[in-house]
Amino acid sequence: MTAVASTVSGIRGGPDVSSRSPEAPAVISADNVTKTFGGGRVVALEDASFDIRPGEFISLVGPSGCGKSTLLRIIAGLIDKSGGSLKVHGEETIAPRRDVAMMFQKPTLLEWRTAVENVLLPSEIAGTVTDDDRRRALGLLKLAGLKDFAFSFPQQLSGGMQQRVALARLLQTGADILLLDEPFGALDEFTREHLNVELMRIVGEVGATTLFVTHNIGEAIFLADRVFVMTPRPGRLAEIIDVPFERPRQPALQLTTEFNQLVARVRSVLGGH
Amino acid sequence: MADQATTNADQLAKDDRKTGIGVVATHTAIFLALMGLWELAARGGLLDPLFFPLPSDIVVSFYRLYITQANIWWHLGMTMTEVAVGFVAGSALGIGLALIVGMFDRVRRYLKPYIVILEATPRIAIGPIVIAAFGFGWTSKTVIVMLVCFFAPFVNTLNGMASVDDEELAMMRSMRASRWQTFTKLMLPDALPEIMAGLRLAMASALGGALVAEFISANEGIGVLLAQYTGTLNMASAFVCVFTLTGLGYLIFRSMEALDRYIVFWTDRDRTEVMGRVRAAKWKGLVKEAYA
Repeated sequence: MTAVASTVSGIRGGPDVSSRSPEAPAVISADNVTKTFGGGRVVALEDASFDIRPGEFISLVGPSGCGKSTLLRIIAGLIDKSGGSLKVHGEETIAPRRDVAMMFQKPTLLEWRTAVENVLLPSEIAGTVTDDDRRRALGLLKLAGLKDFAFSFPQQLSGGMQQRVALARLLQTGADILLLDEPFGALDEFTREHLNVELMRIVGEVGATTLFVTHNIGEAIFLADRVFVMTPRPGRLAEIIDVPFERPRQPALQLTTEFNQLVARVRSVLGGH
Repeated sequence: MADQATTNADQLAKDDRKTGIGVVATHTAIFLALMGLWELAARGGLLDPLFFPLPSDIVVSFYRLYITQANIWWHLGMTMTEVAVGFVAGSALGIGLALIVGMFDRVRRYLKPYIVILEATPRIAIGPIVIAAFGFGWTSKTVIVMLVCFFAPFVNTLNGMASVDDEELAMMRSMRASRWQTFTKLMLPDALPEIMAGLRLAMASALGGALVAEFISANEGIGVLLAQYTGTLNMASAFVCVFTLTGLGYLIFRSMEALDRYIVFWTDRDRTEVMGRVRAAKWKGLVKEAYA
């Protein structure tokens, strides 16, 4: 346990490897974040500590029960932590914040709303909807590649397209921190790979800080600037691995030796888990 | 069972659309042949005309009840009023109460045993008591229809509210939606298909409820007229009442179906497409601008 803690804290305060904004202050800063359920009997997440810099793309990878979704939900303010400190933009998180938005495994679209009306939902919840909000929603749908489907209802769209709508809605919030909980996990391999490339392009374009939860090691490395490798029972942030590849990245990157060496390294951290 | 009925009706409606003039003619011919058989059987002594009046007599009675005597209108109006007012009041009460209960877990817990007990009680059993309390007029009938119409919308609304997806609730929460926003933008529309199904069930039993209530004790309404004609063995007129109720029931079923298709359009592929065009029209100017 101490070995793990030192690995993680060794990275804290170390040289910044993010290619995007070196030396910038952390947007998310976690210090021994712990979450227990059932009166302390089940440890979902133990002593997670890390800093995330603006514009970074972080993948959280690990098997079920490693606490990756728990960590994401704590950052989203959806669940309370049991111990430690978690600051977003320097403030302790206690509830959902305007500058943090989350996307789920299911598209969670409202069936009775067209695509663009779904994208508009965050604006409606925040207050009065202006024509600027509407133009922005249309623009985001275009960015997500759904220009011709703005007035389709969810049930008229494929699973992949539904997640694109959800992505546009995520961006409509205007949040600069995006949390994605296995957003393409329910889609087929081809659609998922395609959407991963699109996701990198889109978050790159809006310059958001992104945390992406997945149980797919290749996907985690392909997308991220840094990979948080997590292990279960108790859920723990075992190691943080830097991904040095240049952007933009092409799917062929996954065939290179360097890429597969990183895959092997993540595997070795996950070990018997 | 209600679903079965819907499917059959849908199937029938689909068959209707396919009909050409030939099919209509065949249907008419078969119907007339059946009526002819009935007429012959009754005239030939195979059917007791005391209970199975001649079709021709029924036609004559139709003319009398609706046009010359025109006495059916008042009773029909009475029954329809009872059904309409009782249905609206009963289902509104059911839905309203369910929405409140659905929003507050604690209320639901404490109310549950009473709901189970009341649901197990045949509603019409309370009929005589209600009539004793509210008199023989239309008020007591309306109250009985109300009782009959209360439960299906209540239970369905409660189920609809409880079946909201956890991730969708988390999505609303992550956007900092208030309780009220979560209710109006997610929970209520999400429960609408179930609520509408409840309303259809309620409406289906409303007419029957009104009739039985009128049978128990009343001085006006189709049920009263029907009982009177049967009591005086005027079967042709009694059949006119029955067929009138058939027509009314069909009308009610069809209008509920239309309402359902209008409100929960997203469960119907064709309606969804139409609504997509309607919504798109509202955005026309903005779309032109944004996607120029």
